[in-house]
Amino acid sequence: MIAKLDSSPLGIAVRIARIDWNAMSQDEGRRLREFGLLEGCEITPRHRGSIFSRDPLALTIGRMQVIIRARQAAAIEVEPAA
Amino acid sequence: MTGAIPSIALVGNPNAGKSSLFNALTGARQKIANYPGVTVERKAGHASFADGRPISLIDLPGTYSLTPASLDEAVTRDVVLGKQAGEARPDALIVVVDAANLDNHLCFALELLALGLPTVVALNMLDLATRDGLTLDPERLSRELGVPVVPTVAVRKRGLTELLEAVDGAIATHQPRAAVAPPPNDASLHQRARAIARAATVDETPVRRWTQRVDSVVLHPVAGLVILLALMFVMFQAVYAAAEAPADFLESGIGVLQGWVVDVLPDGFLRGLIVEGLLAGVGAVIVFLPQILILFLFILLLEASGYMTRAAFLMDGLMGKVGLSGRGFIPLLSSFACAVPGIMATRSIPDEKDRLTTILIAPLMTCSARMPVYTLVIGAFIPARGVGGSPVGLQGLVLFGLFLSGIVGALLVAWALRRSVTKGNAAGFMMEMPRYQWPRLNDIAIALWQRAWIFLRRAGTIIAMTTVVLWLLLSFPKAPADSDVRQVDYSVAGHIASGLEAVVKPIGFNHDIALALIPAMAAREVAVSALATANAIDAGDDEEAVAMSLGERLQGRWSLATALAFLAWFVFAPQCISTIAITRRETNGWKWPLFMVGYLFALAYAAAGITYWTAVAFGLG
Repeated sequence: MIAKLDSSPLGIAVRIARIDWNAMSQDEGRRLREFGLLEGCEITPRHRGSIFSRDPLALTIGRMQVIIRARQAAAIEVEPAA
Repeated sequence: MTGAIPSIALVGNPNAGKSSLFNALTGARQKIANYPGVTVERKAGHASFADGRPISLIDLPGTYSLTPASLDEAVTRDVVLGKQAGEARPDALIVVVDAANLDNHLCFALELLALGLPTVVALNMLDLATRDGLTLDPERLSRELGVPVVPTVAVRKRGLTELLEAVDGAIATHQPRAAVAPPPNDASLHQRARAIARAATVDETPVRRWTQRVDSVVLHPVAGLVILLALMFVMFQAVYAAAEAPADFLESGIGVLQGWVVDVLPDGFLRGLIVEGLLAGVGAVIVFLPQILILFLFILLLEASGYMTRAAFLMDGLMGKVGLSGRGFIPLLSSFACAVPGIMATRSIPDEKDRLTTILIAPLMTCSARMPVYTLVIGAFIPARGVGGSPVGLQGLVLFGLFLSGIVGALLVAWALRRSVTKGNAAGFMMEMPRYQWPRLNDIAIALWQRAWIFLRRAGTIIAMTTVVLWLLLSFPKAPADSDVRQVDYSVAGHIASGLEAVVKPIGFNHDIALALIPAMAAREVAVSALATANAIDAGDDEEAVAMSLGERLQGRWSLATALAFLAWFVFAPQCISTIAITRRETNGWKWPLFMVGYLFALAYAAAGITYWTAVAFGLG
């Protein structure tokens, strides 16, 4: 039931199972953690790109909405939220 | 405490409402400068405790942690650690947190508390948290954090007195404590922040439905883009329509002033200098203040409402295709007002190549200094009527087209640069999306006033000086009375322009334009005042010619093809000393500013040439 965040359906809450920190730069990884995107937390993908591209991805985490690129989302494995 | 004025730093996450709080505490008593050696804006201001003792406040750039990802975040870290050159370590910190986003904002707050400075937490935007269904317990939060917590609503000036009182107390009772070790890693820091947030939350309804409902339209893949385009279109139409009356008012005011000087001063060198040089030149630029302010007003409103980040989200896909990121959208949009703050705003772009590319294309965004040039030429050569009987004005449409040419040009240039001189990894784009909120009138007014002041100061210094120098170059040597050579052609400037004319003649530029291009290197809008100055002298004592507006005079001297080529030139030409200077500073050397000037002049020449030749081919020459 593990899927990648870049292909998860919008509007459905998921839990972060694993993040491949090696797939991104150190700075990117730190900013993700500063946003609170850590293993075990619950997020909901909300919006994806525009007609130009399916990038970027907007997601809610807690009371915050953040934007990341599909490349980073591809490094995040998610499972259905409990 | 010594007798010195205590300095207090406001620090917190982006979107914590820090700047609003800073504005509420200091009012308009602010000073904006740069930190020495780095190009990060230093915002400082004054306030006082309830008993009148003065304090100085500084507003530090928003950041998520003390590990910086960009230049301005590094300044925040260095100031609070006391490592910033030329800046004493603050005597106390006001940590600003968004009451509706404690989970996240407390992480940075905990990191700051661990520094051991006297600290007070401002629980800001409490009203919005309440709107979102949150009930918080500030006292409990204060017990958990071990420092005073003061609820504030910056926009209604609520909690300000209490906040400063708490700061005063914190400084007075401060026991130097050893810096506490922060939690060992990000995960435990977040865990601790979340635990504290939960303890301080009395009641919570799940999510903010309101923002999400708006976003489902505003961020819609198609509808969102239509809204963005519509907003920008309205913005540019408004710049044209709404500025007309105040601009006319300013223009007649300058006319009155000129008349008054003519009445009190005897005819001679001084009168000529003031009326034809200073007032004609500076006046021609001041007239555009209303338009510049309207443009800034729109940008500030979009920023304050939270829409700007949505625009960045929508544009990221397109910008990603040419190797940029949505983050570049905000600097580029600011560049529509002025490339200088735009280029300075690129500091928030973490990727070096992404940032450099954004800097190099920023001058292609149609800045407000081009507005005087565009307005003059469009007003003189494009008929003021609707397109096919619709309410869409032809003049506004041409203006929109000029803006669009700049944008398309910028995207193509970025694409080419990212495949050649600024090759590198795909840029990242990670950003927090702020909540929607009503822009605060007070904040907008302060920001608008600061922009207006910068513009007026420029008009009063650089522009006044160049127009006076130009007037001197244009007035001397005097053409003999019986000569049939125009004064403009006889003067020193006339001879320089004749040399330049040979270069620009193929693209349809005449002697007037060659003459205007020289001082316009200082700033684009000087082209207008240069044309005004040259024409004022040229008109001489012919009262009828003096009465004729500059635009009408140009109609008689330029063909439509020349006018269009002149517009196309200014879409690209890098005629702005400030932009070149800021690029040198931001890229630490002459390599990139010289590259920028070179490629932009080449493009300007090509664009003006193609426009002119095409127009002539269509019989508009």
